[in-house]
Amino acid sequence: MLKVTLRGLMAHKVRLIATAIAVILGVAFMTGTQVLTSSISASFDKVFADVYASIDVVVRSDTKIETPFGAERTRMTDEVVPAIEDVPGVAAAEGQVVGQIRVLDRNNEPLVATQGPPNFALNWLTAPQLNGWSLVEGSAPMGPDQVVLDAKTAKDGSYAVGDNVSVLVTGGVQQFQVVGIAKFGKLETWGGAQAALFDTATTQALVGEPGKFDWISIAGKEGVSQAELRNEVSLVIPAGTEAITGKEFTAESQDAFQKIIGVFNTFLLAFALIALFVGSFVIYNTFSIIVAQRTRELALLRAIGASRGQVLRSVILEAFTVGFAASVVGVGFGILLAIGLNNLMKSVGFSGPDTPIIIPMSAVISSVVVGTVITLLSAVFPARRAATIAPVAAMRDVAVESVLTSRRRLSAGLVLLAGGAIALWFGLFGNLDSGLQLVGLGAFTVFIGMTVIGPVTAPHMARFLGWPLARFGGVNGRLARENAMRNPKRTATTASALMIGVGLVGFIAVTAQSIKVSTVEAIDQSVSGQYVVTSDGFGSTALPADVAIQIRALPEVETAAGLRGTFATVDGSNKIVIAANPKDLVKVIDFTDVDGSLADLTVNGIAASKTLAADKNLVIGQEIDATFLQGGSTTLILEAIYDTQFPIQGGGWLITTEEFNRLVPPAQQTDSSIYIELKDSSKAGIEAARPSLEAIVDAVPGANLQNLDEFKQAQTDQANQFLAIVYVLLALALVIAIVGVINTLLLSVYERTREIGLLRAVGMSRRQLRSSIRWESVIISLIGTLVGLAIGLVFGWALVKALADEGITAFAIPWAQLVIVVLLAALAGVGAALYPAWRAGRLDVLRAVSSE
Amino acid sequence: MNAPLVPPTMTDAAARTVNLSKVYGSGETEVKALDDVTIDFERGRFTAIMGPSGSGKSTLMHCVAGLDTITTGQIFVGDIDLGTLNERQLTRLRRDTIGFIFQAFNLIPTLDALENITLPMDLAGRSADKEWLDTIVATVGLGDRLSHRPSELSGGQQQRVAVARALASRPAIVFADEPTGNLDSRAGTEILQFMRTAVDTFGQSIVMVTHDPTAASYADRVVFLADGRIVDEIQSPTAEAVLDRLKRFGA
Ligand SMILES: Nc1ncnc2c1ncn2[C@@H]1O[C@H](COP(=O)(O)OP(=O)(O)OP(=O)(O)O)[C@@H](O)[C@H]1O
Ligand SMILES: [Mg+2]
Repeated sequence: MLKVTLRGLMAHKVRLIATAIAVILGVAFMTGTQVLTSSISASFDKVFADVYASIDVVVRSDTKIETPFGAERTRMTDEVVPAIEDVPGVAAAEGQVVGQIRVLDRNNEPLVATQGPPNFALNWLTAPQLNGWSLVEGSAPMGPDQVVLDAKTAKDGSYAVGDNVSVLVTGGVQQFQVVGIAKFGKLETWGGAQAALFDTATTQALVGEPGKFDWISIAGKEGVSQAELRNEVSLVIPAGTEAITGKEFTAESQDAFQKIIGVFNTFLLAFALIALFVGSFVIYNTFSIIVAQRTRELALLRAIGASRGQVLRSVILEAFTVGFAASVVGVGFGILLAIGLNNLMKSVGFSGPDTPIIIPMSAVISSVVVGTVITLLSAVFPARRAATIAPVAAMRDVAVESVLTSRRRLSAGLVLLAGGAIALWFGLFGNLDSGLQLVGLGAFTVFIGMTVIGPVTAPHMARFLGWPLARFGGVNGRLARENAMRNPKRTATTASALMIGVGLVGFIAVTAQSIKVSTVEAIDQSVSGQYVVTSDGFGSTALPADVAIQIRALPEVETAAGLRGTFATVDGSNKIVIAANPKDLVKVIDFTDVDGSLADLTVNGIAASKTLAADKNLVIGQEIDATFLQGGSTTLILEAIYDTQFPIQGGGWLITTEEFNRLVPPAQQTDSSIYIELKDSSKAGIEAARPSLEAIVDAVPGANLQNLDEFKQAQTDQANQFLAIVYVLLALALVIAIVGVINTLLLSVYERTREIGLLRAVGMSRRQLRSSIRWESVIISLIGTLVGLAIGLVFGWALVKALADEGITAFAIPWAQLVIVVLLAALAGVGAALYPAWRAGRLDVLRAVSSE
Repeated sequence: MNAPLVPPTMTDAAARTVNLSKVYGSGETEVKALDDVTIDFERGRFTAIMGPSGSGKSTLMHCVAGLDTITTGQIFVGDIDLGTLNERQLTRLRRDTIGFIFQAFNLIPTLDALENITLPMDLAGRSADKEWLDTIVATVGLGDRLSHRPSELSGGQQQRVAVARALASRPAIVFADEPTGNLDSRAGTEILQFMRTAVDTFGQSIVMVTHDPTAASYADRVVFLADGRIVDEIQSPTAEAVLDRLKRFGA
């Protein structure tokens, strides 16, 4: 029996190509993602290990606020340093200041792009045991005007010792003199991130607070373990601080980064699984068709005594061999893909640290297992069908695929659809922790349900879609329609693969369009100002506080309200708190006071959005406990509950700027955006105000001045960028689906060899034959696309409804895009038919007629 | 579209071959399927081709019908030299000028009987001559079965549809390769009578390969082939005469 299987494999190797391609593509994506992300994460692990290599123990504040990017801590003084230095095992102890800045090139543009690595300001450490930097040239920084640049910054900006360099710091742009150029160990940068080094007092003034340090680094004497040292140091440090080993400190940074890259990894893996899911349809179809075509052969085997089990095992073994081999090849391609992407990222400016490719065994094993198991699962049903072929089928003439009766199929499909819809519903509206998983499961089940119903509905759709062909397309049009209808199961499965890819595209397109339209509507309805200033920097490198003040001072300007935000724990949960000057804010943005008065918000007050207040049953006058990074816990009074369409609300808490500045460190006291109300809001007035506004904004690197139209456009562009990435990732699933269409057509052409020979014998031209196959392909593609789009619309509608609380109030369908998708699908159908049609056209008439 | 039948005065052959040879393979495996065959198939007559298995009957028909290439010699259908035609012209010739009936699998399973009959005309993009179609359909006697698909027809009915299709476009000549080979004698007789009628009433030229002496007796003339050569022929054959002749081959 093994011999039969192997012979079968060899005989059908061409037919198994599509299966192999589907598996290879999916597995390659899966491996590539894992290899790339583990390589990146390993290289960052090394970065943190390098950067903190000289630190044995860290002493730091134990007051912290959690953010999605790791914990932020308050700073501490270095009063404790003498006491630490007295600890017997300590060789050196010194306070470290770290902050973010942007070193500018000679055109006042940031040297490191927004999407690049962070650009740090560090204080120059004097203890040689702790300072990993060594000067290549020049001297250490001293005094408020001097800076040492890392070698890469100096090279990128072609700065030499003695040059002046501009740097964007929290207070605005400042000039420094380059007095030295340094390397960190052997590296040109601080392990990938570029850095500028100042003396301690200057660093504190620029990015921190006078006299305060982010942490105290301690180097131990030879032979003292980090843990011992930590224990000894713990005894001398004051309350409110903690000591941890350098290893723990490094691991914290590594873990924080792993979490971020982990999200990225999961995001990409989801697309790899979608691709494999689509691939499983191609595999299923291939094996179904092969089994159908081999009915006589298999029946003959049964007739001469092969058991059902033997036939089943033979097909399963065939699937295993193909699945395993293709998975192994896929892993190879995946590794190449990771290498390619890694180089691509480098070349487009994501200049992280050097990333040597590492290949985790777990990635290889999981990819091979998933690829093989998916192939096996997809082949199980066809194999079972093969095993149930009766020996008498050897005597019968035509190969007929058994099709479940429509009624049973329909009810099974409807049950699945209902189940999927329920899972989707609970996932979206149930407020459950596992909402996302439920949504995924629901979508998966809906797709399966549609596939089960497919064979019942596909012929009707084919008849409907093919009607114009049959009516006006002559006999080849009629044949195309009939051929698309003749094997409902095959047509349905082929179309289903496309349905999933297109369904997701439609879903994403509708959701994105709704978000865009909602955002634009929200801006239209809520922003009453005429200009907005935004920045592509964050935190300490966003808009210096001075910008809003300068703008407000302009004669054309009525009001300018700067918006800033920070993470804080308010009323028990960690949320973003927004701050503004309330009197200005209500002039540029429309708020409705539900209770209290937002404009009269005081320094000790806090305002909450209507949704938040309803959620938490808040009442005016209530005390709200809050913990900000600075000043510990405070109690604020709820003074106003507001309602607004304004899309940028953070967690729904709002305080005054004055209060904000008391509660967060100076380095965070920047505006993320500024809304401007002009005195003259006529069209002419708006244009007239631009030059003076621009003069202020242009002086701030990374800042952009936008009128409302431009602001809306920028918001939309952001969504479009994300959309483009998702489309690229979904393209793989679509490619696999199209491979599936090609495969089905090829196998059908093969199966219809005699018929094609006869058509040619009675005078069908090659061109007519090709056109017939092409139209068949278009019909199949359109079935998949239309059903997919319908599902996508429903999914999108459900998600938009679920997001109503998040301000997605409009359900918008991007008709033009959807029409383009349909046209592309038809075109893809034509493309998929090229090769099969060419093959069919080339069939030798006589041989085709007399073939078995 | 008017009938492509040419008055007998112009040429008397619907199709003919001149020194036709067909060799399969080369060297050791060379098979001479046709060896210098020169034969005329007269217009308006029913010719039967007989001979032992492997004697080249099918090969001869395929070559003359433009389905297969030839090694040397010439083939004329009407006045057209097939050697001068390219693939596209050959396709058109098959569609418009030649009818073909195979032993089995003559019909497209996705088309119903009537659609199968009009297939060559549909392919040419012209509508069938309604009157002529009615005549043929009436003669084959399919009446109420016209809207049935091949899978819903018996083998005999399927062959009748195939014959109707071959005649529907009024081809200059119809080739039939063992059209009754898969049928029982009653269904076979129906087909043969039908072809005979086509020759007698419509002046159709038909060439048929058969192994059955009774079938051959429906023809006007029987040509005998052996080892790729024409070895004999009988005019106005009877079954007995054909059988006799075949027995002599055996000897
Ligand atoms: N494609 C081919 N390649 C090689 N040889 C072939 C091919 N087709 C036919 N032949 C050979 O040519 C010879 C004539 O074959 P042909 O099919 O014409 O015989 P036939 O008279 O129709 O026989 P039958 O009565 O069995 O149908 C045979 O010897 C056959 O083996
Ligand atoms: Mg033959």
